[in-house]
Amino acid sequence: MEPPEQETPEDGHSGWDRRRSIWAAVAGVLVLGVVLLLVVGLVNRDVGTSIQDALDEGDRPPAPGLTLPVLLAGDGIGPRGAEVSLEELRGRTVVLNFWASWCEPCEREAPVLDRVARRSRSADDLIVLGVNVQDLRQNALGFAQEYGIRYPSLRDGGDDAYRDYQLTGLPETFVIDPEGRIALRKIGEVTQPEEITTAVDQL
Amino acid sequence: MTGRPGPLIRRALVVAVILLAALPALAAAVTVSEVAREVRCPTCETPLDVSSAPVAQDMKQYIAERIDAGWDKQRIIDGLVDEFGDEVLATPPKSGFDLIAWIVPGLVVVLGLAAIPFLARAWSRRSRAVPEDAPAPSPEEARRLDEELKRLR
Repeated sequence: MEPPEQETPEDGHSGWDRRRSIWAAVAGVLVLGVVLLLVVGLVNRDVGTSIQDALDEGDRPPAPGLTLPVLLAGDGIGPRGAEVSLEELRGRTVVLNFWASWCEPCEREAPVLDRVARRSRSADDLIVLGVNVQDLRQNALGFAQEYGIRYPSLRDGGDDAYRDYQLTGLPETFVIDPEGRIALRKIGEVTQPEEITTAVDQL
Repeated sequence: MTGRPGPLIRRALVVAVILLAALPALAAAVTVSEVAREVRCPTCETPLDVSSAPVAQDMKQYIAERIDAGWDKQRIIDGLVDEFGDEVLATPPKSGFDLIAWIVPGLVVVLGLAAIPFLARAWSRRSRAVPEDAPAPSPEEARRLDEELKRLR
């Protein structure tokens, strides 16, 4: 019942223990820091909120916020360079079309969307709004001129809008209802104006 | 006949002077792939010089046009950042929060180097330590030990 060695540890031994606990504390702080960074990253990523899942379940998920500069002015959106946010357009149905000048289906789709936009001009409750992404400004402007796009477009040079709307490629088109919720998502080219207008009429 | 080489030599001299004048421009000229290595393709997340996506081709053309216009490398890269944001850079910028990406690896190396003396001392002490309650060698063991040691000498 008497372990004498353990009761009187040597001086060197206790120094080692102290140093070891300091190192353990430092390592603990480092590990905690890394875990904290991971948590922050996961929270900012909005894990688990899939737009497509919500639409598949028949819900209308809220449209992610957008505040971007105007690239092509028109239909009351502008002038070029002014910041426009989606919230400003509440009360109107927004047909949000993501495009780039290098995207071939976008070329075929632009005249179709222009027809939707023309129809919307008589009624003020609908707006076709392009979002140019992953593109060079000069090419985007050239594209708009070449295909006679008259509806307005915003521009996102970074990846934020692309990521927020969980795009899988280009083009993609969203119909956003007057309350700012996504009612329809069209992956790929819009070939007929009715693909959009039917959904708009049902809102 | 003696008057004829004159204009020839003069012409050769003119060509030589023009070539000499062009030398600094040739030395300073950047290539498309040199700039493309510094940025990445926004759709494919790979360095631009190994990307062949449509937007990558547009970007390479953008770079080529600006090299022809006499822009230097940094100005072209700044132009691409203006188009696509900091995310277009192949390496994170050396300022603000992104500085962490540059500091942390160096810090880890420095901490690792600083830990070596401590760890080395601790490990050598542990291997040298003899348990205090180790029994003394028996006469037989002591004899064998001496024998072994003699053989080693």
